[in-house]
Amino acid sequence: MSTPDKSLEQDAVLRASIDRSLRHPVMFFFTSGAAWLAVAILLGIISSAKVHSPEFLADCPWLTYGRVFPAHQTALVYGWGCQAAFGMIIWLMARLSRQECRAAGTVLVAGHVWNAAVTLGVIGILGGAGTGVPWMEMPAFAWVPMFLAYVGIAIWSMVQFKVRPEGHTYVSQWYLMAAVIWFPWVFVSSHLLVHGFGGSPLGAANVSAWYHSALLLLFFVPVGTGLAYYLVPKVSGRPVYNYSLSMIGFWALAIVGPWAGAQRLTGAPLPNFLPYLGAFAAILFAIPAAIAGINLLKTAATAGPTVVESPTLRFTVAGLVGLLVLGAASVFLNSPDLPLFGNVLAMTQFTMSGYGYDLLALYFFFSFLAFGTIYFVVPRITRREWLSRRLISMHFMFSVYGVGGLVVIALFGGLMQGIGQEDFAQPWQDAARRADPYAVFTTIAWCFLLVSNVFFFLHLALMWLRLGRRSSHPTLLVKSHHGSPHGPEGDIDNAGPAAAH
Amino acid sequence: MQHSDKPDLDETLNVTSSHERMLRDAAAVAREKHVNEGGSEPMSLWIFAACAVILLAGGLALGNAGSFFNYNQTVKPDYVRILKDAEGGGPPPVTALKAYMAQGSKIYGKCIGCHAPDGKGGGAYPALAGSDWVLGDDTERFAMVILNGLSGPTSTGKDFGVMPAQGIGMGPRDLAAVMTYVRNSFGNSTGDVITEEMAAEAIKISEARANPGTPVTAGELDAEHAKPLPGEPLDPATMLNPVTLEPAEE
Amino acid sequence: MSFRTFAIGLTASFAVAWLAVVILPFFKLQNPAPVSFVEGIDEQSGIYHPKRSGRVVNGYEVYAANGCYQCHTQVARPTYAGNDLNRPDLAGIKGDFERGDTRRESNVFDYIGLDFAPIGVTRLGPDLVNLGRRLPHEVLKAARDQGDDTLTPQQAEAIAERRLFLHLYNPRLDPAVAEWSACPPHRFLFEEQEIQGQRSGDALEIETGEGMEIVPKPQARALVSYLMSLKHDDPVPASMNYAPADAGGDDKEG
Repeated sequence: MSTPDKSLEQDAVLRASIDRSLRHPVMFFFTSGAAWLAVAILLGIISSAKVHSPEFLADCPWLTYGRVFPAHQTALVYGWGCQAAFGMIIWLMARLSRQECRAAGTVLVAGHVWNAAVTLGVIGILGGAGTGVPWMEMPAFAWVPMFLAYVGIAIWSMVQFKVRPEGHTYVSQWYLMAAVIWFPWVFVSSHLLVHGFGGSPLGAANVSAWYHSALLLLFFVPVGTGLAYYLVPKVSGRPVYNYSLSMIGFWALAIVGPWAGAQRLTGAPLPNFLPYLGAFAAILFAIPAAIAGINLLKTAATAGPTVVESPTLRFTVAGLVGLLVLGAASVFLNSPDLPLFGNVLAMTQFTMSGYGYDLLALYFFFSFLAFGTIYFVVPRITRREWLSRRLISMHFMFSVYGVGGLVVIALFGGLMQGIGQEDFAQPWQDAARRADPYAVFTTIAWCFLLVSNVFFFLHLALMWLRLGRRSSHPTLLVKSHHGSPHGPEGDIDNAGPAAAH
Repeated sequence: MQHSDKPDLDETLNVTSSHERMLRDAAAVAREKHVNEGGSEPMSLWIFAACAVILLAGGLALGNAGSFFNYNQTVKPDYVRILKDAEGGGPPPVTALKAYMAQGSKIYGKCIGCHAPDGKGGGAYPALAGSDWVLGDDTERFAMVILNGLSGPTSTGKDFGVMPAQGIGMGPRDLAAVMTYVRNSFGNSTGDVITEEMAAEAIKISEARANPGTPVTAGELDAEHAKPLPGEPLDPATMLNPVTLEPAEE
Repeated sequence: MSFRTFAIGLTASFAVAWLAVVILPFFKLQNPAPVSFVEGIDEQSGIYHPKRSGRVVNGYEVYAANGCYQCHTQVARPTYAGNDLNRPDLAGIKGDFERGDTRRESNVFDYIGLDFAPIGVTRLGPDLVNLGRRLPHEVLKAARDQGDDTLTPQQAEAIAERRLFLHLYNPRLDPAVAEWSACPPHRFLFEEQEIQGQRSGDALEIETGEGMEIVPKPQARALVSYLMSLKHDDPVPASMNYAPADAGGDDKEG
């Protein structure tokens, strides 16, 4: 074999050994995350149903709307979102830093601690010990173990970054590094101020609104974007459309992101500039969202057939479209002075539009990127290929229809609710009744997502149990055509040096 | 076949097949493409146009912020509450009698200590129910007693000692209200209203007395104040704003 | 870009924002400086010190744990931020029988007494910032519309409280909102007990088993006490009063 081939082989072997070292923690995060997603979706169906049918399951105090809805959000954010993010971070950081994970056991234990804390926290909320702070409802005992678990997970990635090989650092690593630094800063300061200090009711409300926005813009968005910057060029083989723009996008996010959040509290007796500064920053978030989204979508556009075939690219591209929609929604929902619409900020402030926006960020963008990552990473760390392209297709179809419908309905329904609320000449019941049809459709959309998650979780669990296909041929979403470079499909143990390229 | 860079391996070990096995396990990794960062396509002008629109929208939002980093200003500077609903706020109008009596009942709280909640006084204090000085048309008498207090016998001829003056700090509205209340409660029912205007006159008259600040006596009342208070009478059925006692606009 | 540049840039961009919009507002809003009424302009004198009555802290704990803030807000936004002040009974009472138009924006002192201001997430249900005024006013108004002028404000408040207990038990039994309310029933805040001789004073007017009555548990009592204490339409000092100067003598609120 010639030397260039050998170095390529050695590189492949290194990458494979990195994947192998991470197998247990990453599979744990992805699989338990998927289970939490199922729980979150179930709780989402129940809470959505209670909006239009308040007597549904009304005899169980644990399922009161005021408890089950915060539990749903908590499970979605901390059970699914954070764990998927952890899996994504530790895998990509190890790969890009070319370092094997030497503390896989510690990370796994930390992951279990995180899970235990979130489980107890969700049970606490349902049992009536919620704190009443949006997105921080878990009883106070849960936060410290979560932070300690986070340290046990993230510190190894920071170490790997420090000892990365000389030379150029790829943009994804900057995004991940930033997320890994931002998260503890946001998490600790917010929880300390809200739960630790006292005596400043409006100040605490301001902190919780900022925390909500910072978790989305300074953790989930950079993790997702970092993965997207890796997956799209990797799978398509195309160069990043305009690489210098990617760093501009990163710094735009870093500068704009930390100021957003207070716009949820416009009109409250806070210092007046705070909510409008928050609205300004939230609107400006559309710029880094547009930069990253358009940059990567243009990259993927040159590899059309690959996007259709590859599960990873399909989900990633869908997630990037979600990022663009998120940017547009940021501009629309936070504007106090739009022509034709008027004060959209005031109208949608206390409506289900906020929920739609959150789901746009958490599901339509971040979760789709997490799915794309999972479909890419799991075959590499388990050394098996996905079992069935039909299961992946079902997952994709139901997800896209479900979350697309959910987001559109919630955003539009919120606007309709807001118009009713601001119409002061009508009695309140006029505004209250407006939510009903949208709640019905939201429930149906969550049911679609439950179906999609069933396919996904099943598939992932089978892979976790090492029941995937032994093959060097990837599971693609279309039947492979004649002359595929990977060789005839369906070969087991399809080996030989030719297959190694 | 032997690998030239692993000379210490046993000849009998098939390095090729073990090497292939390692590569096969790494098949997924081995088929990966490499990330190509080299792209430098120009970004289309539409992107910049979109960013300009976003900045504009953001600027419109920021324009509402008022003075930046002023942590003491919780509303927009120069904010004035302009309500959009057609009729200005205000309570529903009530009859003048009700309006004055409602306010008067609150003032009467000061009098309950001596004159009792039912206006019958009792024992050491005279009754207001059925009192000649309270009822009748000579309203100036009643006003003088309230404002200045009384010393000596009352209209019944019985002497209850000295009543302290109640006029300190009492404005015309309070005086008019309590007079109207007493004249129409406890069994009294003159059915008329002492207006603010009349009460203002009463205060002027009280200040113009020969001995202002001293309690009146029965003699002084009969001699100088046995007359109605000057002022336009008010139809007790007129609809007023119960808070301001101004006539309600329709 | 080196890691050092990155770290400096990240810290600078984050720390400035964090200090300006998170840390400083939190500590500045702690213990706000008292505001005084001004002699001559305001009708009262002294320091503006809204009184809170009722079991605010215990009641708020029940409010928070049961997620009331998810559907109910507690804020009256100024007119440039929403139409709350134009509603007749959100920011105060438009036609209060004794005090006239009492509507006003929320101010910093409205939330004192709690560690977290329950401003709320959505308005699936009506705003609650003046619930302790709106409910008795509705009772008084209904009585007066039927010609009954003798109902006192205290009696109206007692009737409103009973209705609030009924609403908590099952909003579909509260005649005022039964047709349209999506509020969940909170039957678990009440308990069924045997009637001992006479019905309890606060037993709900609901048919239940033979010789049984439904009474609120302590949690429900605390919650209702908190909700009825939500009265934030008192007169404010001139420096916080944004009513137009030419109120036309119609509005004598300070």
